[in-house]
Amino acid sequence: MPFTAKSGKFNAKINAVTIGTGDKAITIGGENVLPFYTFDEAIENAPKVGIEITDGGMEAEPECIQKCYEGCTSVVDMAKKAVTFDGVDFLSIRLEGGDPNGKNKSTEELIQLVNDVAAAVDVPLFVCGCKNVEKDAELLDKAAAALAGKNAVILAAKEENYKTIGASAGLAYKQVVGAESAVDINLAKQLNVLLTQLGVSGQSVVMNVGTASAGYGFEYVVSTMDRVKAAALSQSDATLQMPIVTPVASEVWNVKEAAASEADMPEWGNQEERGVDMEIETAAAVLAAGSNAVILRHPESVKTISTLVKELV
Amino acid sequence: MALKGLDIFKLSPKKNCKECGSPTCMAFSMKVAQGAVSVDACPYFSEDAKAQLNEATAPPMKTVKVGAGENEMSLGGETVLFRHEKTFVSKTRYAVSLCSCMDDAEIDAKLAAIPKVDYERIGERMFVEMIYVNYDAASGKDKYLELVKKAAALGRVLILGCDDADVAKEAVELVKDTKPVLNGANASNYEAMNAVATGAGVVLGVQGKDINELYDTVAALEKLGNKNLLIDAGSNSIKDAFATAVQFRKAAIKDGDRTCGYPSIVRACCLAKGNAHLQAALASLFTMKYGSIVVLEQLGYAEALPLYGLRQNLFTDPQKPMKVEPGIYPLNGADENSICVTTVDFALTYFVVSGELERSGVPLNLIINDAGGLSVLTSWAAGKFSAGTIAKFFAEQDIEGKIKSRKLVIPGKVAVLKGELEAKLPGWEIIIAPNEAVQLVKFMKDLTA
Amino acid sequence: MAKFVTIGERLSTTAPAVNKAFMERDPEPILARAKQQLDAGAVYLDVNIGPAEGYGEDLMKWAVQLLQSNFDNVPLALDTSNKKAIEAGISVYNRSKGKPIVNSADAAGRIENVDLAAANDAIVIALCNGEGIAKDNDERMAYCQTLLERGLEHGMEPTDLWFDPLFLVVKGMQDKQMEILECIKMFSDMGLNSTGGLSNNSNGMPKHIRPIMDSALVAMCMMQGLTSAIVNPNDLRLMETIKSCDVFKNNTLYADSYLEI
Repeated sequence: MPFTAKSGKFNAKINAVTIGTGDKAITIGGENVLPFYTFDEAIENAPKVGIEITDGGMEAEPECIQKCYEGCTSVVDMAKKAVTFDGVDFLSIRLEGGDPNGKNKSTEELIQLVNDVAAAVDVPLFVCGCKNVEKDAELLDKAAAALAGKNAVILAAKEENYKTIGASAGLAYKQVVGAESAVDINLAKQLNVLLTQLGVSGQSVVMNVGTASAGYGFEYVVSTMDRVKAAALSQSDATLQMPIVTPVASEVWNVKEAAASEADMPEWGNQEERGVDMEIETAAAVLAAGSNAVILRHPESVKTISTLVKELV
Repeated sequence: MALKGLDIFKLSPKKNCKECGSPTCMAFSMKVAQGAVSVDACPYFSEDAKAQLNEATAPPMKTVKVGAGENEMSLGGETVLFRHEKTFVSKTRYAVSLCSCMDDAEIDAKLAAIPKVDYERIGERMFVEMIYVNYDAASGKDKYLELVKKAAALGRVLILGCDDADVAKEAVELVKDTKPVLNGANASNYEAMNAVATGAGVVLGVQGKDINELYDTVAALEKLGNKNLLIDAGSNSIKDAFATAVQFRKAAIKDGDRTCGYPSIVRACCLAKGNAHLQAALASLFTMKYGSIVVLEQLGYAEALPLYGLRQNLFTDPQKPMKVEPGIYPLNGADENSICVTTVDFALTYFVVSGELERSGVPLNLIINDAGGLSVLTSWAAGKFSAGTIAKFFAEQDIEGKIKSRKLVIPGKVAVLKGELEAKLPGWEIIIAPNEAVQLVKFMKDLTA
Repeated sequence: MAKFVTIGERLSTTAPAVNKAFMERDPEPILARAKQQLDAGAVYLDVNIGPAEGYGEDLMKWAVQLLQSNFDNVPLALDTSNKKAIEAGISVYNRSKGKPIVNSADAAGRIENVDLAAANDAIVIALCNGEGIAKDNDERMAYCQTLLERGLEHGMEPTDLWFDPLFLVVKGMQDKQMEILECIKMFSDMGLNSTGGLSNNSNGMPKHIRPIMDSALVAMCMMQGLTSAIVNPNDLRLMETIKSCDVFKNNTLYADSYLEI
């Protein structure tokens, strides 16, 4: 008697959201099964992998990543190089220099950079703010305007600034709005409801439901994603059927296991290997939990995760 | 798994004879489901139906024990598919693989590398718990038996990967007191392998060329009376191995298919085909879904640090906070003159705060209070992180005797404690930190600039 | 668990305006009442055409097609004692949003409606009564068993029989109310679905009292495991209570705007 599995496909499905334009456009979501459960039903749109650079350019990168961008002298150079790495589906530019508590770069300066990067590459773009909610309201509004017609992802609208960013990115400039909540499933749902009530189409919203490095409260990330997918698929909750995008890079390269030098932790060995494995293992875990796209930093991580996804879908 | 009244009703005679004392078979079935009455109270319930009932009330997934003495560990026994439903009970175990096809130098190098990863994280020892010893027929039996002996000397639980029953018998004989796993039963050898495994009282791993053959072989072994089994997810492809691991777990937990209810073993070393980074990704994937043992080519610190952290997160009890040991943690080369920073013993708070403090580069003494493993605001609200408890902790730990600095930084979220703390800890300057950990780097730099 | 299923009761031939519209095949009043109920959050709509002897097949087809074509294949409960009319309705029914519900069968004269539902892969509301109202829960459960066996014999999924304990009016049968609640618990313990005309409890009470009684009862019933009810969706208090209970039962995920969606 052969093995007979009951199908685990659902009547509901995750929204399919297209990002970018032309030949390089990508689509995430659209599945009616749990992550990588292709035995229940084929998954049409495999999860996508993006590479991240920041406005800080070379000097903001760890040494091991700098060497992958050898010869680059500007952020635009890095952007051009980044999109040539194996497995890159999209480019993310993080404007962390805008943080008033950090470098406090002007909106004009950063938007000029966004324009320059957008002109230099043809892959889909994600723009990530500096995490300061007031500054992001201004910065991401301008970024959405600058990228009009590019169908980019604007990360992120939060509870405090969703009105400005939703109205700008979602309504005025028809970008894809990223809704960010930090491992709070009720807020994740509420933000989607609020954006929809604002008039943003649910089909152009993606969620960042929060992330962490493996080992750093990662159980909350897993349970949040498990529950989001359960509500979206088994309870057919349309307010949670948005695809999940998870910025992994901005978390993992800060934790001790990735950041400590070999001189400080000789028994831990090569720092690059530690950083890459932290990024890879965290990314594999968030994909297994339900992310439809991950944002990574090291080209080797991008290549590996892209291979993993191809093997699984 | 608890049975619904409906499942019992379907097996009942549906005669409504009232001889059991219930007005209808339906009412009787409900009482049986609640445990209020035994099914034996019904004179007409067939033996076959009773057997089905017993089968259905058994746990959905077997708990299998491997290793002996202090090495003994449990695999399987899960009752849910997602950690938010209920705690996962048996964490994933990691093995490093050796093969008799390797030359001596390679074997010695790998054996020397295995004990290197051995550290503690939040009260849990992190190390390579198992060694997979693979048999290569071309290299001969003697070399394999030598390798088994050599590997056994490391004192880890062995998994003997061998599908030749005669060789397996001798290998198991060498180490059977350590309760190894014998992995290698398949459709053509399962009877002989079963004799070896049951003879020595060890767990038997089952393989198949596809999921159907695997299922049939498990069923055949069950028929021989062996339920001390492991499911090998196979080495055909990553996709197949994932499908097998997930579908078996799902069928066992959700659909009550007992033939699927065994722990799994995933040979990521074979699936990764020499790609070390891909192997790291697979280790993470199969820790998430649903590997009981994951076998790797190598496991150095680079792979281990995120992997063991992930495992520790996934297998915690969702109801029970993770705690770190209260005490003084000197960071960035701090000494007795360095400034003090205090917070609670909730593991997540500790990791986030200590990570940011380390990034600041400022030498400081991080004092972790005993706050019941709760977060700053929760423990404050529960009275476990107050001026009184902090002062008491300082006295118990003799902080003033151990540290000369009299500057203490407290979390921004409990700024209200400042006045009271100044009263309870005379001579100390109480400084209020920002609300969010990410602001600590700048704050500490400014503070000590 | 699945969300509580509300079946809107406001398309009934007992309302003169609806009856007139049915007889004249006038779409406007029907569509207006349907829209009002769906906007208020009804999941299913009950279509009660009465016995409709002679013209029932034609009328039910007309009503099913009218409602489904205007409201994205809204799922319907076909409510009539005319079996041919139910079959006719199902013959034109689109099940993309849910199976049709046959309303209703009982353990006596109308038990054949279970067979009808089985033959058409439909859900059936199974009233736990025989000739007259059951005197106690032993009798209700005996009817339940009869109906369940009938469904299983005809190859139905047990979850496609929605058992109705028959809600009783408080004024006159106040002492029987807890029995009904216990009966719902028994259905739930058995793993069975349930439904019923819950507002029957408040029959004869002043208009401003009824929503309060109905809301209190639905909360108690949902605690006991009731999975559906035939309700007036325009009763805001009742609908808000159901949404809130769905949150407590973890049937839907809470968000601050939960009442608005």
